[in-house]
Amino acid sequence: MKQLSSLTAGVLLGAALSGCVTSTVDEMVFEEPTEGIGDASVVILGRRHAPDYETEPDFIDCLGNHVMRGDQSITVMDEIEFLNELYPWFEPRTAPLHPDHIEVMLQHRAVQAKAQELNLEYMIWVDGSTVRTDGAGSMACGIGPGGAGCFGFGTWGNDSKYEATIWDFTNRAEVGRVSTTASGQSYMPAVVVPIPIIAPVQGTACDGIGDQLLQFLSANH
Amino acid sequence: MSGSMISAERGARLILLGCVLALAACGPNQVKVDGNFPTPLMDPLPVTMGIYYDDDFISHEIFDEAKSRTESDWVVKTGDAQVAMWDTLLTGMFKRVEHMRFRPEPDKMNQAVDAVLIPRIEELQYAIPAHTNVKVYEIWLRYRFDLVHVNGDPIAGWTMTAYGKTPTAFLQSDEAAVNLAAVMALRDAGANFATGFPRIPAVKTWLDSRRVQPKEAAP
Repeated sequence: MKQLSSLTAGVLLGAALSGCVTSTVDEMVFEEPTEGIGDASVVILGRRHAPDYETEPDFIDCLGNHVMRGDQSITVMDEIEFLNELYPWFEPRTAPLHPDHIEVMLQHRAVQAKAQELNLEYMIWVDGSTVRTDGAGSMACGIGPGGAGCFGFGTWGNDSKYEATIWDFTNRAEVGRVSTTASGQSYMPAVVVPIPIIAPVQGTACDGIGDQLLQFLSANH
Repeated sequence: MSGSMISAERGARLILLGCVLALAACGPNQVKVDGNFPTPLMDPLPVTMGIYYDDDFISHEIFDEAKSRTESDWVVKTGDAQVAMWDTLLTGMFKRVEHMRFRPEPDKMNQAVDAVLIPRIEELQYAIPAHTNVKVYEIWLRYRFDLVHVNGDPIAGWTMTAYGKTPTAFLQSDEAAVNLAAVMALRDAGANFATGFPRIPAVKTWLDSRRVQPKEAAP
């Protein structure tokens, strides 16, 4: 009973210390595998050729973990490991922008052999980023012989915008697109101790796209 | 008396430590580029390629003097990382790679190879958020390549650029971010070279003359 009440208190405290997030998810799928992907593997890659932003590696990790947690039979390859094993074909300069371009790189026997070894069925490209928008407020912190403390209030917003494009690696075709936008406001009041109330904007975007990918890839969802 | 001596000594030490830290803070930001570079996944060209790095290449570094009192000097050393990356890349691109003892010239006794590649760094530029107000660290490189016969006769000469960037990250120092941007730039240089080498017109002519048919590179 005592454990339950402390758990409830923890959940309530966590909810109270989370900022609000609004999120929308759009999905467009052409050829969903009806029985999941079996023992084939999937790779999720971030687009990094834009000059002013790049898809965060931790967002790609988050998506991979979300899919694997949702269906443990699905193997999602580690992004960095994949980029190193197929270097130099998936660097920002050389990465295929269209499924047809895969054909060209598979003319190299070494690349073809590696693709067969990896048993790659789907390649998912994620493009987008999370940015900090407006910020306001001020906070002052001080330290003295009697102790330290802060006083003030700060608030800022975050916007996430991501699009995942699903390529069928075997048939060299685009088979689906999922996009999400999320935004939220975080707060940090401080009376002696700063209390961050963080809006999990990127995490919400990850859950939104991750759920759709799981529905696409898994036979159990 | 003895207590005041000890505290005076301790005070002097603290002042000395403070001075050392203050002087260290005034020193330049130094980055010795360090990273792991993967072997390229491609069918090696049936060519024995010689490689010659001159001293400027092996010990390449740039020194950028601060332009105002609020900025710091920067030293970015790329020499070791350049050699590591190009050795790994070329070993994967060609059937055999030899490091030449001397710069290819008519009267130098060098190893027998089909051609010698001589890379040079013509320019390196970097940008940090303090310079540009954009939350991205960037490194830009321009290389000059000469492909020559063992006796020094030219086969081809061309320039190539490479670019690497990394966004600002929480708890990441300027030095770590510049290092990561430089590693990305070196990876980009390797990717650009590996996919573009057979398409350099003079190189293509030379490969055709040797009846080497490279696979088409990615668009």
